[in-house]
Amino acid sequence: MMPEPTGVIHDIGYRHYEGARLGRGNAFMALALHSLRGAFGFGRTARAKIMPLLLVTIMLLPAVVSIAVMALVKQPAMRYHEYAVIMQAVLAIFLAAQAPYLVAPDLRFRVLPLYLSRPVGVLDYLGAKLAAMSVAMFLVLALPLTLLFAGELLVDLPGPPKTGEYFASMGGAVILAVLLASLGLALASFTPRRGLGVASVIAFYLFTSAVTAVFFGVLMSMGEDAAAKWSMMVSPFFLVDSVQVALFGTDPSNGEGYPPGLWSCVILLAVIAVALSGLVLRYRKAASS
Amino acid sequence: MTASGITCIATEGLTKRFPRVTALEDLTVTAGAGVTGLVGANGAGKSTLIKILLGLLPATSGRARVLDMDAATQGAEIRRVVGYMPEHDCLPPDVSATEFVVHMAQMSGLPRTAARERAADTLRHVGLDEERYRPIGGYSTGMRQKVKLAQALVHDPRLVFLDEPTNGLDPRGRDEMLALIRRIGGEFGISVLVTSHLLGELERVCDHVVVIDAGRLLRSSSIGEFTQATQAIAVEVEDGLQSLADRLTGVGEAVAVQGRTLTVQVPAEADPGRAYDAVRDAVCDLNLNLVRLEQRRGHIEDVFKEPAA
Ligand SMILES: Nc1ncnc2c1ncn2[C@@H]1O[C@H](COP(=O)(O)OP(=O)(O)OP(=O)(O)O)[C@@H](O)[C@H]1O
Ligand SMILES: [Mg+2]
Repeated sequence: MMPEPTGVIHDIGYRHYEGARLGRGNAFMALALHSLRGAFGFGRTARAKIMPLLLVTIMLLPAVVSIAVMALVKQPAMRYHEYAVIMQAVLAIFLAAQAPYLVAPDLRFRVLPLYLSRPVGVLDYLGAKLAAMSVAMFLVLALPLTLLFAGELLVDLPGPPKTGEYFASMGGAVILAVLLASLGLALASFTPRRGLGVASVIAFYLFTSAVTAVFFGVLMSMGEDAAAKWSMMVSPFFLVDSVQVALFGTDPSNGEGYPPGLWSCVILLAVIAVALSGLVLRYRKAASS
Repeated sequence: MTASGITCIATEGLTKRFPRVTALEDLTVTAGAGVTGLVGANGAGKSTLIKILLGLLPATSGRARVLDMDAATQGAEIRRVVGYMPEHDCLPPDVSATEFVVHMAQMSGLPRTAARERAADTLRHVGLDEERYRPIGGYSTGMRQKVKLAQALVHDPRLVFLDEPTNGLDPRGRDEMLALIRRIGGEFGISVLVTSHLLGELERVCDHVVVIDAGRLLRSSSIGEFTQATQAIAVEVEDGLQSLADRLTGVGEAVAVQGRTLTVQVPAEADPGRAYDAVRDAVCDLNLNLVRLEQRRGHIEDVFKEPAA
């Protein structure tokens, strides 16, 4: 037989797909995993890997230094429960860098209709994105906490290991991750431009930090200690710290303590609910256009 | 309906009103297996119909069924077995076609290894070769359309909705795309609903054509009926167009004069050769200078002049 004049093999007959067709749960997991990998730069360009790698490294530094200190002077250095509050700027930058990556391109390049024309619904899509962002935030914080704990066990300080404090901080890390992911995705979803999304998350962090600092300082100087403690609830990081104090009995990381009772938990749930409602409304609108 | 008799799409009194416009009005239409063309001008309601059929947009009234499933209540089941290629751009620029199509296959429920195989196969079928490993951002319009088509086919759907797949393509890209659509409906055995505002390009690949205008059904018939009914001969001469018209009318031809063009209608059952002979004889007898003599097939403008079948 004569060979085809063009060297391209086009005409291999079409084969139907007879294999498994998994359910929505599987698509959900695949999307969440895909997004989670992307949040750390996996499966993306080399440039996209720099930022997550750098931030994770910075997050680990205090743990490494603490372990070294523990090994040398046999005394605990960094405490578990204050890790998130001390490193809050790094966590905020990680959120600002990755939340827009998870949601903005699908809006800007109109990929969302392709998801929605499949078994994936709006809530599946958002649930997967939220899960991915939450797990990413959790890992960024849990990794140094766990390293610190492993170091404490290895160094074998005098007295029992602070297992309870470690687990309390891990619980706090879960709560912080969910809160930050909800806020970050909600803020980022309102603009299809990634740069603007990054800016709005950073601006939100700076604004809440500034408000907290100013009100706390002014109210304390006026002797209004109770009101000053309430003003700490404006910052997501101190809000979660106060929840950690209320639920797990850790020491407050702000030096002054928080309003008594479970009010911080109520505020936390309300903030998450508002953020998620905003997110869902935003996507309901995007889906119907 | 085609000979096979399977109904892929059926609507009944389908109406969709937006706050300011009525996009679809009392549309009752059926489409069978094979390639169905959905033709209409801009704003005729083509994309709206597709979104209703996908179960993504609720109808104001009326019913729509896709592969014997109700679009209003069984949207999720429908979306599992159909594919959709939107009219707008929908591709992220910073991933490769392979990665993107694999991901979309997984979103349709394929396990990862199967998704990889299907993506490679599908991209080959649509004619994307080496380029498929490069980021989509650097692709030409033709290549982007192929990726959009591939993501609609990757999960081996039973039916695909292709919304203006030839949009923005040059003549060669358009021919390639149309040939591919023909293969999808034939060799691949996947039914196709394809939209366009040009009947002329769809008549080459469709088994059945539905024409809508301002949300209303203008016509729905098999492609054979379409082109036969609208077959005509266009004639232009230097001078004496009116005398030619009179002469042809005299020998029993149905003619119409539009500007400088004279159109001779050829009845569906008649032999077009006879009409050509009559034109030739008349031009010779009257000693006219012939400028143009060509066969005209159904164009959308002709369809609009005829009542709905
Ligand atoms: N979400 C919406 N809200 C309001 N009006 C809409 C919406 N979607 C479509 N329309 C209107 O409905 C009508 C039909 O639109 P549709 O997009 O279905 O037309 P089309 O046939 O696909 O046109 P084109 O060839 O331009 O793609 C238009 O008048 C359009 O403005
Ligand atoms: Mg359209």
